[in-house]
Amino acid sequence: MSGATSDESATTATSDETETRTALNRVVLYAVLVGMAVFYLIPIETGLMTAITDPGTYTGSTPYLPPLEPLVPGTGSFSLEPFGNAFDGLSRGLVNSVILVVPATILSGLLGSMAAYGLTNVDWRGQVGIYALFIAGIFIPYQAVLVPLTQFWYNVVPLRTMFVALTGIPFVQEYHWKLVALIITHTAYGIPICTLLFRAHYKKLSSEMIEAARLDGASVSTIYRRIVLPLSIPMFAVVFIYQFTQVWNDLLFALTIVQFGEASVVTQELVGIGVSQSGTNFPLRMAAAMLAAFPTLIVYILFGDKFAEGVTA
Amino acid sequence: MAELTLDTVTKVFNDGDSNEIVAVDGVDIDIDDGEFLVLVGPSGCGKSTTLRMIAGLETVTDGEIRLGNRLINNTPPADRNIAMVFQSYALYPHMTVRENMRFGLEESTDMADDEMTSIVEETAAMMGIEDLLDRKPSELSGGQQQRVALGRAIVRDPEAFLMDEPLSNLDAKLRATMRTELQRIQEDLSVTTVYVTHDQTEAMTMGDRIAVLNDGVLQQVGTPLECYHTPNNRFVAGFIGEPSMNFFDVTLSDDALTGERFSYPLPGDVRSSLGDATEFTLGVRPEDIEFHATKSSVGEHDFECVVDVVEPVGESNNIYLRFADDDGPDPDTFIVTISGMRNVSSGDRVVATIPPDAIHLFDDRDGRAVKNRSLSEVDAVAPT
Amino acid sequence: MRKLIARVRNRWSDSDVRTDGGEVSAERSLLRRDSIRSAPFWLPPFLLVGLFVYGAVLWNFVLSLTDFQGLGAPDYSSLDFENYVIAFNGGTPTWSELTVDPVWNSLQNTIILMVVFAVVCLVLGLLLAILVDRNIRFEDTFRTIYLLPMSLSFVVTAKFWLYMYNPQTGLINAAIGLVGIGPVEIVQNPDLKLGAVAFALIWQFSGYAMIVYLAALRGIPTSHFEAARVDGASTVRMYWRVIIPQLRTATVSALVVITVFALKAFDFLFSMYGGYQPGPSADILATRMVREAYANQNWAYGSTIAVILFVMALFIVTPYIYTQYTRGEL
Repeated sequence: MSGATSDESATTATSDETETRTALNRVVLYAVLVGMAVFYLIPIETGLMTAITDPGTYTGSTPYLPPLEPLVPGTGSFSLEPFGNAFDGLSRGLVNSVILVVPATILSGLLGSMAAYGLTNVDWRGQVGIYALFIAGIFIPYQAVLVPLTQFWYNVVPLRTMFVALTGIPFVQEYHWKLVALIITHTAYGIPICTLLFRAHYKKLSSEMIEAARLDGASVSTIYRRIVLPLSIPMFAVVFIYQFTQVWNDLLFALTIVQFGEASVVTQELVGIGVSQSGTNFPLRMAAAMLAAFPTLIVYILFGDKFAEGVTA
Repeated sequence: MAELTLDTVTKVFNDGDSNEIVAVDGVDIDIDDGEFLVLVGPSGCGKSTTLRMIAGLETVTDGEIRLGNRLINNTPPADRNIAMVFQSYALYPHMTVRENMRFGLEESTDMADDEMTSIVEETAAMMGIEDLLDRKPSELSGGQQQRVALGRAIVRDPEAFLMDEPLSNLDAKLRATMRTELQRIQEDLSVTTVYVTHDQTEAMTMGDRIAVLNDGVLQQVGTPLECYHTPNNRFVAGFIGEPSMNFFDVTLSDDALTGERFSYPLPGDVRSSLGDATEFTLGVRPEDIEFHATKSSVGEHDFECVVDVVEPVGESNNIYLRFADDDGPDPDTFIVTISGMRNVSSGDRVVATIPPDAIHLFDDRDGRAVKNRSLSEVDAVAPT
Repeated sequence: MRKLIARVRNRWSDSDVRTDGGEVSAERSLLRRDSIRSAPFWLPPFLLVGLFVYGAVLWNFVLSLTDFQGLGAPDYSSLDFENYVIAFNGGTPTWSELTVDPVWNSLQNTIILMVVFAVVCLVLGLLLAILVDRNIRFEDTFRTIYLLPMSLSFVVTAKFWLYMYNPQTGLINAAIGLVGIGPVEIVQNPDLKLGAVAFALIWQFSGYAMIVYLAALRGIPTSHFEAARVDGASTVRMYWRVIIPQLRTATVSALVVITVFALKAFDFLFSMYGGYQPGPSADILATRMVREAYANQNWAYGSTIAVILFVMALFIVTPYIYTQYTRGEL
């Protein structure tokens, strides 16, 4: 929009010259844009093409081309076998990641929304200080809490023994205690950024509307439930996208809280996949990477625009 | 239905650095049951804060607010039995008109469902919005939203209506229509109403009485005509009336007021009522100045002037005059209102008469009115 | 002042609600305070954050003062700053027979990585935003493509770029092969390691900077562009003198998020190098800390490095919070 007028710069040039220059500018512009698109896409595209190549026929000479043997020699032949193997290798991690990411995302979103409401639409002294602590929490590196967290979950809280007692319940396994610990940790670390995002939204709600609800007799919690929450649905979409990506993609907390074993999440499983004594199996490795990236890629392709609007609003 | 009393109500804001800002300073107003009171003043004068204290949206620093003899200083807003119409209407955007109107009933009463439904529908019919009940606020025009906001307040059957510049977001034509409609509704329901506006025309036309605020201090409470004809002080005189009253800085010497360009002899009775003050502001309303295209004899209250600018309004003309001897590049002008049928053009030499019984005099030390215009001509409308 | 008044005015009620004539007891008035009534909303998340973030940060600091090492439980009885001395000077601590290296090398790498990553991301993001802002077709598609890498896990990005950097099959080597160089070992090459890491991270997050700048450019009224043009400014000068100075807020907000991502670069290095050992030329504080704690089980020393990282984070967060506060945006 704003740059629309900027191409007609040379006022002395004849209209023909100007037109030629404008057209040339546009060509260069689109060439750069497409070039950058190729830059951003090619690692993903190469990964995908390699992932559907039969490992037996994989040569690695043109990994970015689709496997079209025998039509195009040297590209390898098409096979879904790497995906099948990757799925077998990652299935446990995928299941654990889903168990982790759904509650962690919903909880941090909901708690972040509540915190933002309590600190924005209900006005009281001292809330700026509390809010500053929430915001500072966004910037604290995970490393600063890792050792205490490991101590806390392994030596202080008897989550493990609690889960031994719960194993009678269908689907509950003893190792799930690690996932619960991970859910709580991710929730706590997700709250600050969720609070920030919701607060930006809530500050724009009309204060007269909230006052009208107060005069109508609504309590602080009724205003949240009947006015603020229904009006936050678009923001929940943004927060859920962000938080889903963060939790799904995290490795460090899983590495230090789950450490190893049956509760491993997909990022942990992915680190070691496709490497063996006999060398790297690139098709398997790329298929595994694509599989692990799939949920967040889909979310971004479908809702990326909404997300962009939400974080920049 | 109840009377509303503000008894030396004061609001002090503390900005956190121990600076205190007095927003409302000892305001006393008694509002009768069923009365329409307009709180008027320039922006930042404390009128909205006063309204918000009545609503319970601000605490009262000092003084008392009573509604029907019930002290409500510390009553939560929801328990005060008042309804408020906001400048932005403050409709709930995710609810239909019906849900908007029901919300207050659901939250503040334990009415049965069908009872709420019938009240909402009756009120909607009265407001002429029954066809809009299932629409969302975003699908309504400004005027329709305004009606819904009003309907939402009426449904509550409150003891008092509070309105915070409810018409300021409407275009001029709709504003005039809604003004009359609002008055009619208020009269029908006869609910005590406090109406905040910065628009003196609204104040004049709508209020049973108007209360003029400036800098947090109540300047005058009275009927519109009282405030117009017998202002308490220079501020009220200048604020009420459009175009504004003309003011001249004058000094009293002997029996005449001397200004920069003129001398104005005072009648003996007026002179004797002025006491020992010497510095005054002479005020005269534009329509009180008599305007003569020519005059054979120039009296002591007649001044030779030149027409500077003519502003036709239609039914009248606002004439900007300057004194004949003031021919600098940037002359001081004053306004005279004359009939729109009279033909005057810029540069005409004319005579303006300021009748002694139409002048107001304000003491420069405190702005208080020491003499207001004589009301012998307006007895018919002035209160007894 | 006016802003302050407005802010105070928006306040529903002061917290010092007076009781009226003994009708309302002090206790009930306390319960009516907005801070108390809103507590059910902010207090549970606050406790969670307080315990797991701030509680853990404090605990971590205490741990850094112990000699906690190996299996077993930390001993809190003798606390000292020995680990900090070791961190800055190196040497053999009392809890070990081995010499421990100071953190200078990884601190330097951390700062270089952060600065290069942040600056290039912002510049690239801004240039892209200016291009995308020129009334192009398929704008949504371009935007989505540029933002797409951000959706990936660091682990996935590492896999992709290991592949891209591969000396035999990687496209980077194929590309530089076209101009007659290579093939070059990149990932394990001490001279190129840190650059390779930064490049991959820039690939992943510059799209985010683009999104933020694009939104900011859209927020600048068209009249500013037109006025600069009427004033006869060239396109470059128009952006440099008129437009870019208006992007300060956007720069800060993009920088904040990009810094948060940079703090998580551990995940990337761990996956790129298949463990805790990226080697000295790509070792950053984040990897060093995890390696000391979880590979060498020098828990207390790991906590010490974590405190140093935390202090670095404070250097970013404190000015940010302070400016937000002074601008009344908290």
